[in-house]
Amino acid sequence: MFKFVDCIDAGTEYCPCYLAEKGECIICSQLKGRAFCDCLNWKGTCIFQEYTWNNNKAKKARDFKEYVLKSINFLRDDLIIMEVFVNPYLAKQLNNIGSYVFLKKPQSPHCFAMPVSIMKSNIKNNVITMAIKILGVKTKDILDCKEKVEIKGPYWNGVQGQIFLKNLKNSEILISARGVAASPCVMVANKLKKHNNNVIVILDKGRSNENFAKKEFLDLGCKVYDVNMIDYSNYTLKDEFKKLINELMRKHDFKVTMSGGSDEFHRLYLNYIYSVNKNLNFATVNNALMTCGEGVCGSCHLKLCNGQVIRGCKQQYNPAEVFINIKGDVNI
Amino acid sequence: MMVIVIGGGWAGCAAALQAKKCGAEVLIIEKTDMLLGLGNVGGIIRNNGRWTAAEEMIALGGGDLFEIADRCARHKNVEFPGHKHATLYDVNIIEAEVRKYLYSMGINIMFENRVVDVEMEGRRIKSVYLHDGTEIEGDVFIETTGSTGPIGNCLRYGNGCSMCILRCPSYGPRISISMRAGVEDLQGLRGDESFGAMSGSCKLEKDSLSKELQEQLDKDGVVVIPVPKEDINLDKLKNKVCQQYALKEFAENIVLLDTGHAKLMTSYYPLEKLRKIPGFERARFIDPYSGGKANSIRYLSMAPRDNHMKVVGIDNLFVGGEKSGLFVGHTEAIVTGTLAGYNAVRAGLGLNLVELPTSLAVGDIIKFENESKQTIEGLKQRYTFAGAVYFERMKELNLYITDVDKIRKKVEGLFLKDFFKNKII
Repeated sequence: MFKFVDCIDAGTEYCPCYLAEKGECIICSQLKGRAFCDCLNWKGTCIFQEYTWNNNKAKKARDFKEYVLKSINFLRDDLIIMEVFVNPYLAKQLNNIGSYVFLKKPQSPHCFAMPVSIMKSNIKNNVITMAIKILGVKTKDILDCKEKVEIKGPYWNGVQGQIFLKNLKNSEILISARGVAASPCVMVANKLKKHNNNVIVILDKGRSNENFAKKEFLDLGCKVYDVNMIDYSNYTLKDEFKKLINELMRKHDFKVTMSGGSDEFHRLYLNYIYSVNKNLNFATVNNALMTCGEGVCGSCHLKLCNGQVIRGCKQQYNPAEVFINIKGDVNI
Repeated sequence: MMVIVIGGGWAGCAAALQAKKCGAEVLIIEKTDMLLGLGNVGGIIRNNGRWTAAEEMIALGGGDLFEIADRCARHKNVEFPGHKHATLYDVNIIEAEVRKYLYSMGINIMFENRVVDVEMEGRRIKSVYLHDGTEIEGDVFIETTGSTGPIGNCLRYGNGCSMCILRCPSYGPRISISMRAGVEDLQGLRGDESFGAMSGSCKLEKDSLSKELQEQLDKDGVVVIPVPKEDINLDKLKNKVCQQYALKEFAENIVLLDTGHAKLMTSYYPLEKLRKIPGFERARFIDPYSGGKANSIRYLSMAPRDNHMKVVGIDNLFVGGEKSGLFVGHTEAIVTGTLAGYNAVRAGLGLNLVELPTSLAVGDIIKFENESKQTIEGLKQRYTFAGAVYFERMKELNLYITDVDKIRKKVEGLFLKDFFKNKII
């Protein structure tokens, strides 16, 4: 059975990482305790060679650095848009699908660091834009930032199924997003538009009657629809949402659909799409709990249906393998 | 019936050709943009016992590729230390000729596609997967992916990636398909029982040599020059794949052969040292590009097989070339590949499989290699018609024959004339 295994850091300047040092590399058999090559998931560079030439050590890991806070803009009591001046290197590296950073208040201990998706990264003025929902200890702590924030990055695994997005050219994609998960979808839409794709976006009206990211999508030239997506009485997809999906799928030739929401939403949405059209590829916002971002701490681990353990912070999976119930017994 | 050949080197081409001649639909899946693999930098045929093997194959009706190689010869009847009546084919033209021939026979070829995994159904392979997840179904599969590289192996067991003709960084590394199907690979050993062996020759750009050397190569096909005493390194011979060229003469002399490039019969040679030798002042390597420090590592991925070339434990997977054993050379690849192609079609039809008779060198080597590699000492040997232990055996058993008529009569006597020309579908 063909195995879709991909490490988002493979072949980057952060590869090989601590995992290779401990014989746990996601990609390379020689750095996974085996004596011979078995490059099923070749990423264009030999990680074993990089490791040997780096004196059998991991490359230097990312570290926190202080950056100047440009602005915090309250969209609601519990939803902010944060802009930060970063250096040109970080701005360029974060201008990619799935980019995220760890963010914390200067002087706060490392346990306050939280992963935040990048909505926009301006490589001209080096400003990154993030949407943050104030939910708990870490997000409340960040509200106390005055002039500076600490950022550790770049990381790129904020979106799963990236292979389907990066290969999409001159085609059509449907993005359905709700709440703060619309933020990484803006970056996706931005990149897909550059490859001449028609990007159709459905946004959940939510509490504010309009998603904060609507303007961003419109500015990119996406066609945007506002609907109420969820029937909270039994947590299923609302009929108006399903009707809109059916209508759009009749009208367009989508090759990929992206889900921006919680894992519960991914499950409902992907299974509904699968029930309508079995040929679409899926991308999802990555909701794995992340603490270190290096595949070490274990908080992001999840199990695929075949029992394989995935390190959610740096390992890619095919969202269909995680969320689709082939028997079709999900209460959509 | 669909026969899928994985790997388009000499063995894969021979297997595909034979399966096609037998009447099957054939698809070669090759990871690079060229057929012949290491055959693009080899070039030596018909030396010593390879003469007999080539003529036996021609008499058996499986000589198509030898005839192309003969047509592409730059030099015939060349002698160099330990070797007689060699033919040196032109590595710069032969790939296009073989490609043209395979296409003319109706063989399908997918270039720049790398097979990475298999789908099994019990003891049978149902399909193979390409690197992008595409699934390709077949009835019978022939693996001729060789045993060389990839980068990590060349690093762990050699001096690192030497940027050889296999071009792993460009086209992706070799994958052992038999291992993906659940059969553990065998490895060849060196004298000290470490794994693998280093490719035994490198190529210099002929134009970078002195005019005199170029002229001598063009005229005679061979140049022998003594190595400066301080540079003689007999230890290097122990690591060499090509035991037929691991003679003292090859350590004490620089042996150059004209295969279109100037083939330097040593694994690698530090450029600074090489350029101190008269005539080599401007020398540069053309294969491997880093021939000044390294060469590719081989024999790390052989599948256990029977004498029909079928992989032990899998009902519809056959192997040829280095994948099938500790064989060295194009001739050996063509012989084993041809039998693999023939038996693959028989297996697809549910017919009994055939062995080649041991009264012919081409049958004897297949059986002898298989028996020999059951022992540790046997795993340290390489098996070629051209030298080392197997050429000695050929001479002892009177299998080494250079009289073409005698070879033809022998094959006719076995009622095997044009055996490989028979359509069986």
